[in-house]
Amino acid sequence: MNHTIHFTVNGEPFTLSVASHHTLLQVLREQLVLTGVKNGCEAGECGACTVLMNGEPVNSCLVLAPEADGATIVTVEGLAHDSQLDPLQEAFVAAGATQCGFCTPGILINSRALLDRNPDPTDAEIRAALVGNLCRCTGYIRIIDAVKAAAHAQREVQP
Amino acid sequence: MSQPAGKRTVIGASPPRIEGREKVTGAATYVDDMQFGPSLLHGALKRSPIAHGRIVRIDASRARALPGVRVVVTGEDFPGLTGLYLKDRRIFALDRVRSVGEAVAGVAADTPEIAAQALDLIEVEYEELPGVFDPEYGASPEAPIIHPELASYEVVPFVFPQPGTNISNWFKVRKGDMAQGWAEADLVYEHKYRVPHVQHVPLETHVCVAQQNVNGKITLWSSSQSPFAQRNLIAKALHIDHSRLRVITPYVGGGFGSKAGVSMEGAAVALAMHAKGRPVKLRMTREEEFHTTFVRQGLVAILKMGMTKDGRITAMHNRFYWDGGASTEYGVNITRAAGYSGTGPYYVPNIHVDSYCVYTNHPVGGAMRGFGMPEIHFGIEQHIDEMAHRLGLDPVEVRLKNCLKDGDETLTGMPMHPTGLSECIRKAAAAINWGQETVSYSSTKRHGKGLAAMWKAPAMPPNPGSSALVRLNEDGTATVSIGGVDIGQGALTAMAQFAAEGIGIRVEDVRVNTVDTDYSPYEWQTVASRLTWSMGNAVLRAADAARTQVLQAVAEAWDEDISDLDIVDGQVISYRSEESIPLKNICIDGVQRKDGTFVGGPVVAQGRFMPDYVTPLDPETGQGPRAVVHFTTGCQAVEVEVDTETGEVQVLKIVSAYDVGKAINPELVRTQMEGGAVQGLSTALLEGLILDHGVPRNPNFTDYRIATAVDAPLETENIIVEVPQDDGPFGARGVGEHPMVPTAPAIANAIYNAVGVRLDSMPLTSEKVWAALQNNDI
Amino acid sequence: MQPFDYIVPHNFAEASALLMAGNDDTRPLLGGTDLLIRVRGGFIRPERIIDLKQLPGMCDIVRSAEGWLVIGAACTMNQVAGHPLVRQEYELLAQACESVASYQLRNRATVGGNCCNASPAADSAPALYCLEAVMEAYGPSGVRRIPIHEFFTGPRCNALRPGEFLTGIHLPPVPSRSAGAFNKLGRTKIGDISIVSVAVWAEAGSRKLEAGGQSKHPERVDGATRTAADGQSKDAERLTWRIAIGAAGPTPLRAPEAEAALAEDASPEGVARAAQLAAEAARPIDDIRASAAYRRGMVAVLARRGVNSVLARLGAAPSVVGGQP
Repeated sequence: MNHTIHFTVNGEPFTLSVASHHTLLQVLREQLVLTGVKNGCEAGECGACTVLMNGEPVNSCLVLAPEADGATIVTVEGLAHDSQLDPLQEAFVAAGATQCGFCTPGILINSRALLDRNPDPTDAEIRAALVGNLCRCTGYIRIIDAVKAAAHAQREVQP
Repeated sequence: MSQPAGKRTVIGASPPRIEGREKVTGAATYVDDMQFGPSLLHGALKRSPIAHGRIVRIDASRARALPGVRVVVTGEDFPGLTGLYLKDRRIFALDRVRSVGEAVAGVAADTPEIAAQALDLIEVEYEELPGVFDPEYGASPEAPIIHPELASYEVVPFVFPQPGTNISNWFKVRKGDMAQGWAEADLVYEHKYRVPHVQHVPLETHVCVAQQNVNGKITLWSSSQSPFAQRNLIAKALHIDHSRLRVITPYVGGGFGSKAGVSMEGAAVALAMHAKGRPVKLRMTREEEFHTTFVRQGLVAILKMGMTKDGRITAMHNRFYWDGGASTEYGVNITRAAGYSGTGPYYVPNIHVDSYCVYTNHPVGGAMRGFGMPEIHFGIEQHIDEMAHRLGLDPVEVRLKNCLKDGDETLTGMPMHPTGLSECIRKAAAAINWGQETVSYSSTKRHGKGLAAMWKAPAMPPNPGSSALVRLNEDGTATVSIGGVDIGQGALTAMAQFAAEGIGIRVEDVRVNTVDTDYSPYEWQTVASRLTWSMGNAVLRAADAARTQVLQAVAEAWDEDISDLDIVDGQVISYRSEESIPLKNICIDGVQRKDGTFVGGPVVAQGRFMPDYVTPLDPETGQGPRAVVHFTTGCQAVEVEVDTETGEVQVLKIVSAYDVGKAINPELVRTQMEGGAVQGLSTALLEGLILDHGVPRNPNFTDYRIATAVDAPLETENIIVEVPQDDGPFGARGVGEHPMVPTAPAIANAIYNAVGVRLDSMPLTSEKVWAALQNNDI
Repeated sequence: MQPFDYIVPHNFAEASALLMAGNDDTRPLLGGTDLLIRVRGGFIRPERIIDLKQLPGMCDIVRSAEGWLVIGAACTMNQVAGHPLVRQEYELLAQACESVASYQLRNRATVGGNCCNASPAADSAPALYCLEAVMEAYGPSGVRRIPIHEFFTGPRCNALRPGEFLTGIHLPPVPSRSAGAFNKLGRTKIGDISIVSVAVWAEAGSRKLEAGGQSKHPERVDGATRTAADGQSKDAERLTWRIAIGAAGPTPLRAPEAEAALAEDASPEGVARAAQLAAEAARPIDDIRASAAYRRGMVAVLARRGVNSVLARLGAAPSVVGGQP
């Protein structure tokens, strides 16, 4: 059975007919072609599908499409504004925090949420916040460095 | 190269990866992101629930009758054998299944839901056969035979199957006089080490889309490390002309060896051949990825070494039993690599090595980062450590005494090329403050240090080729076409650096294409840490040829000698006349002569590279002049903290030191070292596929844990050593796989140093440390 | 996932009726972090999923008139762990909730769902056992309250009857002089399913709520309101201990012998003895995560560490730890 949902994705309102058993991940990837949201396990373990839902990071593979009715969603495609990259995006490129790139969108989104609630996280806080994002390439060290660098850059801009 | 060495600006610099912006904005396209419209069919594979059995009957009629099901295929539709080195498997099982998860049928349907329903409707009746679940047992005469037809399989000349047994390859080294070696030793020590199956865990699972058009041409979009090898193997297996099969590989979400060769892609092509022009997508679930694509083979290693009381190794008798699984894509060659590397990076005068690849009813073993080296070094590097301790010697000094130096003969009789191994060991030891006791802040938290050395050669046929095309564009930028794949290691960026350096333009002005076998030049495979070295040579030669095309035209038009001309930052300059002209003005339309006519034209250049010096080895002794192209060597040192009450191990620091010949992009080299070290840590402490009579018990992230951000070491240090490779581009050799090779034994040695327990089986779980401590009151 | 329908009921009665009519074809949805994985894996094939989150109070955390804390069944782990009242008075529960999986998963996973799934390794459960939570369910016969230790009936089995669903978790008031500690051991350092977990709780005085015994309905709990149990009584220095163990039995378990022993003797020797008694109370099994022997050994270690942590906190700041001034 299908449901009609109204929601906002990366600042734009959408009205969609979605299947009950489809996930938010499927809707974003297949109906809105926001393929920056990655499917890595469909079990809430790898974090590649992480999006912001009403400002908080969630595994979009574990949200049913009709549950997203009324929600505000931000995907990796919505992080940059007017081709101005988010400080996290700049820092990830500069620090070498991305290799194959498949986990990167989810980690960027989760890191965005971390910096939104804690603009100056410690190393340990960054590591703990990213436990739900698996990366097999980088060994995480550069990712942690990049989040710290982005936090610093962000504070320079908005003291 | 014709350029003066002094002007290098791009080689040895660390520009950020050229595709970085795409990857941080979500714009980078992977196979699953490609759009095929509503005609796309969704494939799914019916899999064997049993480890070993005869297929008595397959009835797919109910599946075929289900509305929305468009294709159902079984083994009878594609009976041909396939395999990279030994043709021992089929796309779908025909008469016998040999592992849980082996594909017995495939379906393609309008939706994934219908495809899943169709699988349930396919009835398969099996007659179970006794299984083989241990490689030592599998190699014994008592074991049931898994491949009775082994004698009839097609095989490459350097692999030696033993028909009538389960041994798909037996590699032997016989060197020196064993009796003398044992007689000279003051200590002879034998021990058995076990390494479980692990999985590569690329974040992107295997996925491909196949489509056949009305002319019969098939296109395969594939997340692959081996687009050309896939074209070759699938074309042969399905009797398609190579020119009628096109493989396209966009960005790849990690490989680590699992996406080398062919796993499920043949099934997608097989489905597409019956899909009447509709594209068919096959995407592995995470659960399927864990055991039905490829796994790293399990290993049982029985090591025996002799050492004098001053720490000289006198003899090694090493036996490796590889748990190759139901069939062998890469396993036979991993077995060979383990054999010709079977002493570790040491000079040993008397050697007896047997490396057996054994068929079992386990998941199929494939290539994984390190290609057998992490597995054999787990035992070798602990064994040497243990013997040093027993003789009261410093493990670092013992390694320095025995490690291979320039000109030493390796176990296969090849003289070792110049290598920075000793320097790596010294630098890693210094960086971890070897010899200085660290303070343990709590009575239940003990600190310890450990170190392990390694070597690894690119494991491949003697003559795998690389080629490259460089084209210059109207704006003076270059487009580089290659057949190798950036799986995250940074190949695109390194190749852009080679091209920029070779032509004389900025690295930002180079675009490197992802692979399309219809347009990209040939590359054997993205494996063996060989791209920087092999493909790098091809790109550099192509770039140099492009530069020569430009300069020849300019020389003619300006009536100058080519040796007085150069290209610097996209400007062609004459050192003699001090004239200059932007490359963009001439690289398509040519250069105008003084009489108004033009010379030159569109710049298109090619380059290629193939090693032409690797020799065969004697099948009985493993001896030969040149077993491999080269060895990359290195060392890791770690510091750990062990909780004596829970057995938990926290890795505090990992130091990595590798001889990369020449770091083309030092930052990318360091990220390889760091990522490899953490992957090594993860396999050391956490990973292992739990197989219960062939049934995987943990094929998911819930119970197959990999290291997360909190498990990564608190500190890393990455040391680049540069002893040039004679045939490497600017002296470079590869370092992609090596960083995870010594991590597990280094950690095991550090645990021993911390709490005095030696763990001889991976993973080194908290429970194993705790259990060992219960028996070893400290 | 195989198709199913998604239904948002308008009221409690409708939700109950839908669940009653559906039997196993109908599943209640709270956070979905367990349910959807089981549907996707084909372990269950529901035809209808009833989303209970939008029913009144399901996502609220409030203090009842009697001084109990009422946590709606659909409150997420992060919501519970971050709530000021939980952090001030029931910090043990916050510790447990924060130990679950990852930050983004805790934004969906609910405390109610964690209990209803009834995994022996449910991390919120040992804390709720220590806090003597009372589970409130709504069903065909109206509202029913179930003590937490009766709610868990076996691996993946709970006490809910057909047509019933969990609406809230009620926590009795705690004396201001109280403290808790939750420790778990996983394979990875943070966020793994527990190999074992141990929650330890101590509070001043006795509330006549016997360890593992009958809890009272909120309206009838004797003398347990915030003012009455404020650490003013004569035996304020006598501590009541509660220890609950996760992932070491078919359900979470209390360790009453260990609790009683601690009440008598909380010296280092007494703590060690109590830790051993806690290990003896465990009923662990071998599975792919750990052996029974390791689990039992770790119960003792985590119990001792938990008790010492609680003692340190109570000793460090008597009369304010764990409670409001």
